[in-house]
Amino acid sequence: MSKFKKSFHIKGRDFIRAGEASISVQNLLKSMDFDPRLTRRIAICGYESEMNVVMHGGDGTLSIEVDTDRLILEVTDDGPGIDDIDLAMQAGFSTANDDHREMGFGAGMGLPNMKKNSDQIQVESKKNQETVVRMIFFVPEGEETH
Amino acid sequence: MSKRHTSTCFVRFDQDLCAGYGSCLRVCPTRAIRVKNKKAARIVEQCIGCGECIRSCREGAVTAATEGPGVLKKDHIAIALVSPVLYAQFPGVMPKDVLLGLRHMGFQHTIDMSYFLEMFQFATEEFISRNRKSQSAPWPLISPVCPVVVRLIAFQFPNLLPNVLPVLRPVALMAREVKSRLIPEYTENGEEVVLYYLNPCPTKKDSACLPSRKRPVRTEIALGINDIYPELVKHVDQIEAADDIPFYQTRFEYETCATANASMWGMSGGEIADMDIERSLAVSGMEETISYLEKIEMGLFQDIEYIEFRTCREGCLGGVLTAIDKYLAKGAVQKMIKRYGLGRRLHRENILRMYEKGEFQTEKKPSKLTSLFGAHKKALSLDSMQKIEKIMDLIKGTDCTACGAPDCRTFAEDVVRGESALKECLFVGAQTKKKA
Repeated sequence: MSKFKKSFHIKGRDFIRAGEASISVQNLLKSMDFDPRLTRRIAICGYESEMNVVMHGGDGTLSIEVDTDRLILEVTDDGPGIDDIDLAMQAGFSTANDDHREMGFGAGMGLPNMKKNSDQIQVESKKNQETVVRMIFFVPEGEETH
Repeated sequence: MSKRHTSTCFVRFDQDLCAGYGSCLRVCPTRAIRVKNKKAARIVEQCIGCGECIRSCREGAVTAATEGPGVLKKDHIAIALVSPVLYAQFPGVMPKDVLLGLRHMGFQHTIDMSYFLEMFQFATEEFISRNRKSQSAPWPLISPVCPVVVRLIAFQFPNLLPNVLPVLRPVALMAREVKSRLIPEYTENGEEVVLYYLNPCPTKKDSACLPSRKRPVRTEIALGINDIYPELVKHVDQIEAADDIPFYQTRFEYETCATANASMWGMSGGEIADMDIERSLAVSGMEETISYLEKIEMGLFQDIEYIEFRTCREGCLGGVLTAIDKYLAKGAVQKMIKRYGLGRRLHRENILRMYEKGEFQTEKKPSKLTSLFGAHKKALSLDSMQKIEKIMDLIKGTDCTACGAPDCRTFAEDVVRGESALKECLFVGAQTKKKA
């Protein structure tokens, strides 16, 4: 059986509609038979990824790939890229500006939260280039999708 | 139930009155409605009883599965279980006089639910203050008071079930008290007792849609506030005009209502207003409720301890089975509070003693809620998901609802499940005709 993949657009700097892509991912997953705890982790990662794009990136895409034994959540954007990935993965490190903090964002918990809630995470990025974050979630054995 | 009503859950559709406009289609939060053959609105087993379809229907074809006031007979002991929303329907009238009106009308007992709401309030404060240390439940805790919210969570947000406050709901506390103390006094003498729930929303399932073994015996009846209002208003007027108010014996404290602010419970924010919880919110309206639940699901609002949700705008005063406009009712409540102030009848120490004995513990664990209200549709397979995407590419995706489904995605799902035919889509139909 082949995989199923669907992508949703994220508009940079649109704080009003931020979260819609990850809600769409949720609605999709809810019509399938996944453990609510798994979809909750994907919801949290989806929202954190989406907020990163809205705050720092230009436009981006959030996509979900469903396979029999795993789900892959991937977020890409067209820049400005991450300077030092190791530093960005540290809890509390943030490049958010005052405007972001005024809205309650920028605690430096985005990527660490995504790492905590996914089974595997890969971050590919260079300064002034696109960023790709891939998060893998394994479907617990005995609950594979068909 | 007459033949022209299609079998349903919390609501009924009148086939003769339905004009097939489908305004109910779009407002249904669980996408439970389909319009077939331009006439009949059909509902699938996903109704959570919010009443949005009743509100949206201009034809009056959708009604709650409640009984008319005609069911009140003299051959049994009638006990009215009164939602405090009823008081707000009578601006300027004290709650106790509204209850007297019910007595006048023929109810032998009136049970004031606000008494049990107050009890619930103390228990909730206690649970939250303990949870600050034990962290046994996740923040934000969600109020279990609105039954539609609980059903909506079980149906659409099952991963938030652990957030639903595990304290017995006020209506359950009330029913327990009445069943254990009041009813036995009559049944011991062989008398028949019937409980009448006077509600602002459709909270009882139509017995016709339940399997026969699950059908309730006719000892519990749901009445809409709007069903009873025209008759009750006459009795309340008589009591207000009378020089000496007729005397009815009340043996329990909850049989009358001494405070003026009881109806505040019906207002959005009324549940938390007097509660000792600093970080709490009140959200009302179906769209707003769904949007907040989506956000909680994504990990937001963990700094809030308690959220009061009501799917009706402005809270229960905006319930679909109320008799007067929600803003007029709200004005009446605010005036009452201004004039008489806030008052509590119960003592915290007494409630805490009950709390220690575990009297507020709910037995409805998340898994139970899922089996009661969860989505019972078969989950879609990977294969079906791909088929749905293919159909979505074929149809136009404008959510025109001409096929009778609420949106294109739901239609595509229906096709894959074999419940609708692809040619029912106007756009696909036109394409096929052109080719032919």
